[in-house]
Amino acid sequence: MSQAAITLQDVSVTLGGQIILDRMNATVERGALTAVMGPNGAGKTTLLHAILGLIPYSGRILFGSSEKRPRLGFVPQRLDLDRGSPVTVRDFLSLALTQRPLWAGIGRQTDKDIRDVLEQVSVGAVLRSPLGKLSGGETQRVLLAQALLNQPQILLLDEPASSVDLAGEALFCDLLEQIQKQLDITTLLVSHDLAVITTHARYVICLKHGIVCSGPAGDTLTPENLKKLFGPHINLYTHSHSHPLPTD
Amino acid sequence: MEFLVNLLGALFPYDWLEPLFMRRALIGLLLIAPTCASMGVQVVNFRMAFFSDAISHSAFTGVALGLILGIHPQLSMILFGVLIGCGVLLLARKAEMSTDTIIGVFFAAVVALGIVIVSARSGLVRYFEGVLFGDILAISNSDLWVMLGLCTLVALFQWIGFNRLLLLSMNQPLAHSRGIKTTLWELGFGLLLALLVMISLRVVGLLLVTALLVVPAAAARNLARSAGALFWWAITLAGASSLGGLYLSFHWGSATGASVILVGVGFFVASFGYKLMGRRG
Repeated sequence: MSQAAITLQDVSVTLGGQIILDRMNATVERGALTAVMGPNGAGKTTLLHAILGLIPYSGRILFGSSEKRPRLGFVPQRLDLDRGSPVTVRDFLSLALTQRPLWAGIGRQTDKDIRDVLEQVSVGAVLRSPLGKLSGGETQRVLLAQALLNQPQILLLDEPASSVDLAGEALFCDLLEQIQKQLDITTLLVSHDLAVITTHARYVICLKHGIVCSGPAGDTLTPENLKKLFGPHINLYTHSHSHPLPTD
Repeated sequence: MEFLVNLLGALFPYDWLEPLFMRRALIGLLLIAPTCASMGVQVVNFRMAFFSDAISHSAFTGVALGLILGIHPQLSMILFGVLIGCGVLLLARKAEMSTDTIIGVFFAAVVALGIVIVSARSGLVRYFEGVLFGDILAISNSDLWVMLGLCTLVALFQWIGFNRLLLLSMNQPLAHSRGIKTTLWELGFGLLLALLVMISLRVVGLLLVTALLVVPAAAARNLARSAGALFWWAITLAGASSLGGLYLSFHWGSATGASVILVGVGFFVASFGYKLMGRRG
């Protein structure tokens, strides 16, 4: 088994007097795509926020052998932006690359880096489009692009495909898997979509305020574990065109 | 500052700029209105118009408290406004309520307190006309220095903070993941806005100060095609509104602050029409 990129040791999070995560222990393998799954309110996004250092927690989160955070790329679910906002994709992506205020202009090198990363996520045509007018699928690709611009060692995605249809979601996850393998980035993907997880994740962490189960996807996504996680009305059907689930 | 006032008279020898107070008013407007417009870009992004309204309405109480406590009313007004800004921002972070609700409570409290003080001491009423409607024609050179200082401070803040605040307005966890100290920037922006609102009261008064922030930024949204252009359009429209408003108020004999805002609203209507035509075209 490869070395852990993230190790959670007895991590607990309490918000507003309510325990969201309770003494959680888990590892995220280096260079692989790990999915965090669980029902609504299970603490999936809270876990990402703890890893980002956005909220207080007890216990330890180690990155390799140190508590110092490496470069993290974060892909949120959505942006809080109204449709009339003139902020363009170019503006948004330049925020990751330069401290110079946007009103002072965008430099040539920054412009080139932005064009390159948009090509990488296959949405080169949206460079000057207003962010608020993009489709759900384009928005997710632009959000992925901004995370990649940071040259992250670890990529964290919070239900990135929640605002796109099934076909868009499949395309996005194919692209994500391809980039993850190309760049060998440790990727932690929050999702409650079993189809996405079974197709793309190598490891899973099943969460319901604490760990219910974790490990290689093929060993972990058993009917018993899924029932523990989601209740008795859940079943996993493997389509003939799906990849086989990875096991140890 | 006297040099600048004289230079303006020499460069633009128009009858409406002949009186010294008109030249001072123009310099004051050209310092404050674009400064407000630049901060207005973020006020619109963060949906903080109601916040600036609450701060401006605390001016009433700030002046009254200053007169009762024997502090210079201008100083007590600014300090009280900044204090209310701090209160709103800190409570909004702690209370599990929407920010609008917290601001609503503060708004009610400061207005009610002001009315109670003024109604109990009827002699105070005469001080409030300037607070309500502003009096840009009565500003002195020392007022202009204060405005220049504030303008410089905001320019510096916008140089360092424009990108950070833009990202923060779009997604707080994302801003945090990029190493932006989100709490510090939110509080810093709120406090600078409170200071700007209180100093800008001199220009348009408490009833219209929020318009000085919001109207140019709203008009700029209709014209701009990028975040950088939004900033420059807002500043340009604020400058043009100042010039047009002061000129019209001279000829009509109307209140300067309100005339400036009306010209700004005119720009908004025109820009909206332009945007609609663009959609059809």
